[in-house]
Amino acid sequence: MANIHLENVTKHFGRVTALQSINLEIHHGEFFCVLGPPGAGKTTLLRLIVGLEKPDEGNIYIDGERVNEVHPRDRDIAMIFQNLALYPDKTVFDNIAFPLRERKMPPEQIRTKVTQVARTLHIEHLLERKPGKLSGGERQRVAIARALVRTPRAYLMDEPLANLDALLRLEMRIELKRLQEDLHETLVYVTSDQVEAMSMADRIAVIYKGVLQQCDTPDNVYNLPANRLVATIVGSPPMNFLACKVQRTNGQLNLVHSGFGFQVVGADHPLWDCLCRALPTVQEVLVGVRPEDIKLYPDQPTHLIAFPARVAVTEPLGAETIVDVQLGRDIIKVITPPTEYFSEKQDVWVAFDMAKVHVMDAQTGARIYTTGAPGQLQCMLPGVCT
Amino acid sequence: MQKTPTWQRVVRYALVIIVVGMFTFPTYWMVTMAFKPKVEWSTAHGTIYWVPKNPTLENFDTVLTEYRGQFFRANQSSALPSIRSSIIVSIGGTLFALLIGTLAAYGLSRFSVDTGDLPWYVALGRLALLILVLLPFMVLWAWLGIIRYWYGILTFTILGIAADQLIGRLLGRIYRGPTGSLAFSILQLRMFPPMAIVIPVMIMWSAFKLIDTWYGLVAVYGVVTFPFVVWLMKSFFDEIPRELDEAAIVDGASNWGAFLKVVLPLAKGGLASTALFVFILNWSDFLIALLLTTRDWPTIPVFLNSLVSSEIGAQHGPKAALGLLAVIPPVVFGILIQRYLVRGLTFGAIKR
Repeated sequence: MANIHLENVTKHFGRVTALQSINLEIHHGEFFCVLGPPGAGKTTLLRLIVGLEKPDEGNIYIDGERVNEVHPRDRDIAMIFQNLALYPDKTVFDNIAFPLRERKMPPEQIRTKVTQVARTLHIEHLLERKPGKLSGGERQRVAIARALVRTPRAYLMDEPLANLDALLRLEMRIELKRLQEDLHETLVYVTSDQVEAMSMADRIAVIYKGVLQQCDTPDNVYNLPANRLVATIVGSPPMNFLACKVQRTNGQLNLVHSGFGFQVVGADHPLWDCLCRALPTVQEVLVGVRPEDIKLYPDQPTHLIAFPARVAVTEPLGAETIVDVQLGRDIIKVITPPTEYFSEKQDVWVAFDMAKVHVMDAQTGARIYTTGAPGQLQCMLPGVCT
Repeated sequence: MQKTPTWQRVVRYALVIIVVGMFTFPTYWMVTMAFKPKVEWSTAHGTIYWVPKNPTLENFDTVLTEYRGQFFRANQSSALPSIRSSIIVSIGGTLFALLIGTLAAYGLSRFSVDTGDLPWYVALGRLALLILVLLPFMVLWAWLGIIRYWYGILTFTILGIAADQLIGRLLGRIYRGPTGSLAFSILQLRMFPPMAIVIPVMIMWSAFKLIDTWYGLVAVYGVVTFPFVVWLMKSFFDEIPRELDEAAIVDGASNWGAFLKVVLPLAKGGLASTALFVFILNWSDFLIALLLTTRDWPTIPVFLNSLVSSEIGAQHGPKAALGLLAVIPPVVFGILIQRYLVRGLTFGAIKR
């Protein structure tokens, strides 16, 4: 039962700024993911919430109460560390019982609670063993049990699945999600794996180099990325960016790439508006298209405009094939169904899903506009505009 | 795999035997000497006795009982008080060093930003600078006439530590890289030759009326072995992941609770081996005990030294007998904690 609120939280380590004025509101009962590449400051964020670090600036509130000076043990928040931090010399039972013993719970009560939690996580047969004798998945469960047993106000997890093998990770992912749905408690989950974040979270906060880039639902983070960084972090392979020059010629607004161009249709187009307002400064934009929103054709399609390109590398993955295509001066990645076969150095035609094109400021990386329907941007063949 | 030529193996084993012989022979000589009667101690009677010809317990009797014989011996008393003294002082000194050293090591391991390994030239340079800075002050203290008194020594010590820290900080400004932290200052205590420290300590102890008391010796042993405890225990604590104490704190333990309930049990193997090491250091110390004890609390090494007089020469037999007895406690202690010395406690429980 907890709302966690971070207000302008800044944390430095020496000369390094780990977190820069973070504002976050984590609601009660929410599965909240913090996503970012290694070294982004995600773990620091968790340590600040749990109280292992103190913010240099800003305030942290739990249920409206300012907790900056509160000792971690009085915050009543459970944390699962990346390396799990099971006490190696204690049995599984003692590990799980540790938080209860620290709270001076009577032994009979501890026994019933520990067995109960162990049963929910299917580890009751392991209670007398030491952590060293357990498998990765079992240790994971013990760590979760140790957090669950004391019914804290919120759970924090620091890449708990990072050290598991791929299959087990898939399994634990579903289990964690189900567990959170049953508990309906606040859970802050740190990960560098965008698949985990997308599949489990109610909301995702994307952090890069200590700066909060975007905090939104998985849908919005994926479909309306706030900037170039978010678009790169979320999605695999990451979004393709095509550097385009902004050109205004006799009442027309064009985005010109080395391999093709876009025409912004109609002066009433919102992008027209956006770009015109930004025009004196914005000379270049990045047109972002996700690999899954691009289609490759071996021959020039007749029903839509496509651009000539050449296949550089193909990576068959079984369910899909990732094709690297040389388009103008850029190489873009395209996800194609495995039924379509492209060989290297083959000449192909590239067509974009015009309903899902993002236009970003090339300098700041901020998203200017995203098309919601086809027809707002029109493709142009190279040579039409110069 | 190619077979090693026979002559090489012969040479190799011969070398091994020679080296092993060099190390074990003194022990062998002590053990046999302890059971030899006086005639067999030396070659004065014409032959060398590799094994005792007429084994006797006379030597043990000599050291363990009050002297009743006709020859004058420098030390007339039995060795029993010195054995008692050694046991009390060594154990006390070890416990004292372990108590303060372990706490200091934990603090240095968890709460200080250590600057990593120190290049030897920085370490030596820092020490040289310290001596250079302190020499004029020493002259000044001597000129003021206070260096002979405890308050003079105390102020000088405080000045020394302050100067050392200052030098460390200043070095850090000039030299980009590790310059040594508080942990290094502690290690630096061991860089001075012990003799240079013991004499001022003796003057100070006489001012404090701590000469020839067990607690005076315990205090010195504790302080002298403290750096070893700090550095050994720090390396053990460094190996225990920080997350363990943090998990304990998040789980509801206090900082002390995390240390006592989680970290210390994991470091008990290290604690045991450190205890053994420090105990052996204290047990075998001669110099400090020689200078700081007189009549009531000489330890075994000091007593051994007194088993000689101009009239009867060195008492080799009794010396060896007492030496043999003195070997027993460290060996027993070592066997008792043997299982801790070899066990890797954190193995497998933490994913790295």
